[in-house]
Amino acid sequence: MKLSAIHFFRQLLTGVLLLSGAAVMAAPPVHSGVVAETGLRYWEWDGEGVLFRLTQRLPDQTRAYFMARGFAPDQADRIARRCVFQSMFKNTAAAGSPPVTIDLEDWRVQHAGREGPLLTREQWRQDFRDSAVPEAAAIALEWSLLPTQQEYAPGDYNWGMSSYGLEPGAVFDLAFSWTREGRRLQGRLSGVQCAADIHPEPKS
Amino acid sequence: MMPWHPTPALLALCTLLASSALFAGQATQRLREIPERPQAPDFSLRDMDGVEHRLSAYRGKVVILNFWATWCPPCREEMPSMQRAWQQLKDEDIVMLAINVGEDEDRIFEFTASYPVDFPLLLDLDSAVIGSWPVRGLPTTFVIDPQGRIVYRAIGGRDWSAAGLLRKIRALK
Repeated sequence: MKLSAIHFFRQLLTGVLLLSGAAVMAAPPVHSGVVAETGLRYWEWDGEGVLFRLTQRLPDQTRAYFMARGFAPDQADRIARRCVFQSMFKNTAAAGSPPVTIDLEDWRVQHAGREGPLLTREQWRQDFRDSAVPEAAAIALEWSLLPTQQEYAPGDYNWGMSSYGLEPGAVFDLAFSWTREGRRLQGRLSGVQCAADIHPEPKS
Repeated sequence: MMPWHPTPALLALCTLLASSALFAGQATQRLREIPERPQAPDFSLRDMDGVEHRLSAYRGKVVILNFWATWCPPCREEMPSMQRAWQQLKDEDIVMLAINVGEDEDRIFEFTASYPVDFPLLLDLDSAVIGSWPVRGLPTTFVIDPQGRIVYRAIGGRDWSAAGLLRKIRALK
């Protein structure tokens, strides 16, 4: 009787572990949270063979970054106030799987009942066309942004900034997509918030 | 007390989860083989010491060619592994070149204080060379065979000192 009870509980434990394992595998692909070291928020899609992550950048971070690369303060401010995120896209599929392609031109920012495109490298180049931007600064902007089109083999990834054209603090949904073997797959990050334009002071 | 024997189903689950974790680790150490092996675009750039490097002058050797910038986090992350790989490969007729995109000597010099390397760091000041290569994001690395053809490409950082990558590179000699 005692042994049967032990056996029953072992099988129950096995069942629970299997179910929790299945739950992990079937978990929704969207996660969000706070980066412990910085207090900045992130939103992440991890499913269907791709990992896409957006992490807030404070406008001040972006101002400092671009001023250090040769942009004038007003030019750096222009970029910083357009909702810039640190972003990462990775093909996480198994070795031997087909590559995936992305085209940021197809991605849509949904905010306050309206839908619009991201600000891509090409749009920023156009935006600064008539401004006196040093060559090194223009190159840094171009290559700091996530590529507009890219093909990722399994294991390939890019880090880069992405810009959503909204005011600091704005909340939006991002409808994004990628293509594998000619099939377009779609994902969505909801309630993404551009970092507020705050100027944190060191704690005394 | 009766010894506990996990059921086959539980073992299968554990094996699956363990292999997933292992696979995730290996995933970053892959190189994409370029099936058509296109000819690598030639260039001539000077390095930090003012020495001119023409890619076609390295014909007959395997070349690892990396595009990077100091502000790019995965570029910084993979740089020490490139140095470790270079320590193992430099006496084997294998060349490693890292092309910095758009930054001057002062900035790179400052960077190398924290990330010392002794393979050539080339300066693509006006980004003309990267513009002639199939590169859309940094870092991107190519492995070129002794015939001057692009054999492998890696988008994003890798651990270049990983045995599997070194084996693939050496196999091209």
